[in-house]
Amino acid sequence: MSVTDSAATTASAPAARKLTTARAIAEGIAQEMERDTSVFVLGEDIGKYGGIFSATTGLLDKFGPERVIDTPISETAFIGLGTGAAVEGMRPIVELMFADFFGVAMDQIYNHMAKICFESGGNVRVPMVLMMAAGGGYSDAAQHSQCLWGTFAHLPGMKVVVPSNPADAKGLMISAIRDDNPVVYMFHKGVMGLPWMAKNPRSIAPVAEEPYETPIGQAAVAREGGDATVVTVSLSVHHALDVAEQLSAEHGIELEVIDLRSLVPLDREAVLTSVAKTGHLLVVDEDYQSFGLSGEIAATVAETDPGLLRAPVRRVAVPDVPIPYARSLESAVLPTRERIKAAARELVGA
Amino acid sequence: MDEKTRLDLYRVMVLSRTYEEAILREYHADKKPAFDIGAGLVPGEMHLSAGQEPVAAGVCAHLRDDDAVTATHRPHHIAIAHGVDLDKMTAEIFGRQTGLGRGRGGHMHLFDPATHFSCSGIVAEGLPPATGHAFAFQRQGSDRVAVAFTGEGAANQGAFHESLNLAALWKLPVVFVIEDNEWAISVSRKASTAISSNADRAAAYGIPGQRIEDNDVEAVYTAAGNAVARARAGEGPTLLEVHTLRLWGHFEGDAQGYRPDLAEVPGRDPIPAYEARLTDAGILTPDLVASIKEEAVARVEKAIGFAKSSPVPAPETALEYVFA
Amino acid sequence: MSEVRFPELSKEQPDAEGVLATWFVNDGDQVASGQLLGEVMVDKASGDVLAPAAGRVRLLVAEEQAARQGTVIATVE
Repeated sequence: MSVTDSAATTASAPAARKLTTARAIAEGIAQEMERDTSVFVLGEDIGKYGGIFSATTGLLDKFGPERVIDTPISETAFIGLGTGAAVEGMRPIVELMFADFFGVAMDQIYNHMAKICFESGGNVRVPMVLMMAAGGGYSDAAQHSQCLWGTFAHLPGMKVVVPSNPADAKGLMISAIRDDNPVVYMFHKGVMGLPWMAKNPRSIAPVAEEPYETPIGQAAVAREGGDATVVTVSLSVHHALDVAEQLSAEHGIELEVIDLRSLVPLDREAVLTSVAKTGHLLVVDEDYQSFGLSGEIAATVAETDPGLLRAPVRRVAVPDVPIPYARSLESAVLPTRERIKAAARELVGA
Repeated sequence: MDEKTRLDLYRVMVLSRTYEEAILREYHADKKPAFDIGAGLVPGEMHLSAGQEPVAAGVCAHLRDDDAVTATHRPHHIAIAHGVDLDKMTAEIFGRQTGLGRGRGGHMHLFDPATHFSCSGIVAEGLPPATGHAFAFQRQGSDRVAVAFTGEGAANQGAFHESLNLAALWKLPVVFVIEDNEWAISVSRKASTAISSNADRAAAYGIPGQRIEDNDVEAVYTAAGNAVARARAGEGPTLLEVHTLRLWGHFEGDAQGYRPDLAEVPGRDPIPAYEARLTDAGILTPDLVASIKEEAVARVEKAIGFAKSSPVPAPETALEYVFA
Repeated sequence: MSEVRFPELSKEQPDAEGVLATWFVNDGDQVASGQLLGEVMVDKASGDVLAPAAGRVRLLVAEEQAARQGTVIATVE
């Protein structure tokens, strides 16, 4: 089963034409902006520039500066502005340029945006999308290469979605916009299909032309297999699929790859169902190893039924170190295909 | 100013003070003999607004229910002046199921959609969302405004500066009101702020700024009237700073050992001063004062009774309302 | 038959060399008029390659291959 099939089954027309993930995101936003005049976009360089990672290309020309708004470098102010506007019934899409920049505005994000629904006993809603670029692998060093989805997922009150491919990117964006809750939408730069960054072939794929929703909180089985379960998200899905093809051809090992797609809510059932089948679990996570997503997946199995496992859980994650600049060092810490392949072989004893 | 307006200002301030005195009583009633912050019917921190009533009364007199207000950890006077439902607010402070937040927010996190009121326990956190309410009103083509209340200490927080710049840049219909009660917990304004008046900071953002002295409710009323009218007319934001008075501690349990002027503080209470002024003007009589106070007490005790007789939220529901 | 030319992204240098960054269609695909065929780059600027007509597309340049502005990179017939 390919990565795109899951999205194709939620679309109503055959997905013939292809888009990059970046274009798919922009199309999802544009279609929602056409449908609902309360949707607007703001952030740094999202207007004329079209977003540093092209997530908003074309929107300014289509919808004008009233609805596609370049902001000053004031994350606290404009993220908070998004919250206030959402409380008043608008549907803001706020772009935080890099996930790494959350530090300057985290109070507005986790303490305010995420908690209003709960603190008000459900009486006040914040239908807002906070989208951000994440991930490394192109030498952008410690402050511009982080994934950090574990940090956002850890804090209650915000949904967290992380698409790996163009079809899911569009569907998850539309779902996020329509959701009445704050949704943190994180796109890895390496899956955007940008012409100026090393491209993964699956970053260009068929995307249905009409609007459609991809369900938030539901993982996808990107590849079926019986020997080991690889649970992962974002760019690592592509690496895991590449490794799966190699291991199948070279060793007859069949990996099952689970693309989580959402971290909050987390589709624990999908993980357990797969591990029940394969008995072996490898978690691949480009976020920091300790205290995050990979531990959460391991705990999910351990506290439900550790007997499912015929071998200890393996994790391939970024070790607890700031991401280095030098390419030789950066590629030593990222969850590369080499590391994934070695871990998978060890896991199944091959 | 007409008589009715002046009387209304006095009424609101009396209601607010009566409320805070009742909460003070309830808060400490079951924390004896030694103060235990986690004990009793109203546990946790409590930040009461006695002395700051003129700011709330003078500003909120110009606001409608559909104007938005964001307030701070010291929100009661503003909530009352803006017309938040007193019963539900009190139930929330008492952590009851019938509270504004079903007991989940507490005294620093009061949300009332009916009056577009919210408050926050993080310093300056309410300023960015106030720009957001204002943005929505501007886009929706209404003349509604947002008012953000904050403290003089908060004016040194990044969010303050970002919000003023953004509001000025986009000409948002928001009024920023600083309550300068001179103390950021135990740190005086002089020890925290490089300039002598935060109103002067308005110039840095190209907006009008005005400082009101003497905790004068009528001067606040006039200045706020102009600022709110400016915003409604699409002329953009204004910064007001009111020199007000924190009659009691930063929070209940604050011994205020750091405050050298403590002995003379009660003498600066704005409510007796305004009462005297209105009496001199022939607007108030002892009978009228007594009846206003009785009315306030009755209203407040009804709210407290409602709160105390309301159910405590069931523990099994603790995970509800995280998401809509 | 319609010619699909590398778009002019650099006006100062009409024959500037760039790269065919991405093909969105495969050689031999049926395309619609105006359909997004590919993306090119000259220096840091990128641009879209659109089908000038409907028909079958023949790709004359590979992905990542260098090409000059104005040259024919595909045909549609």
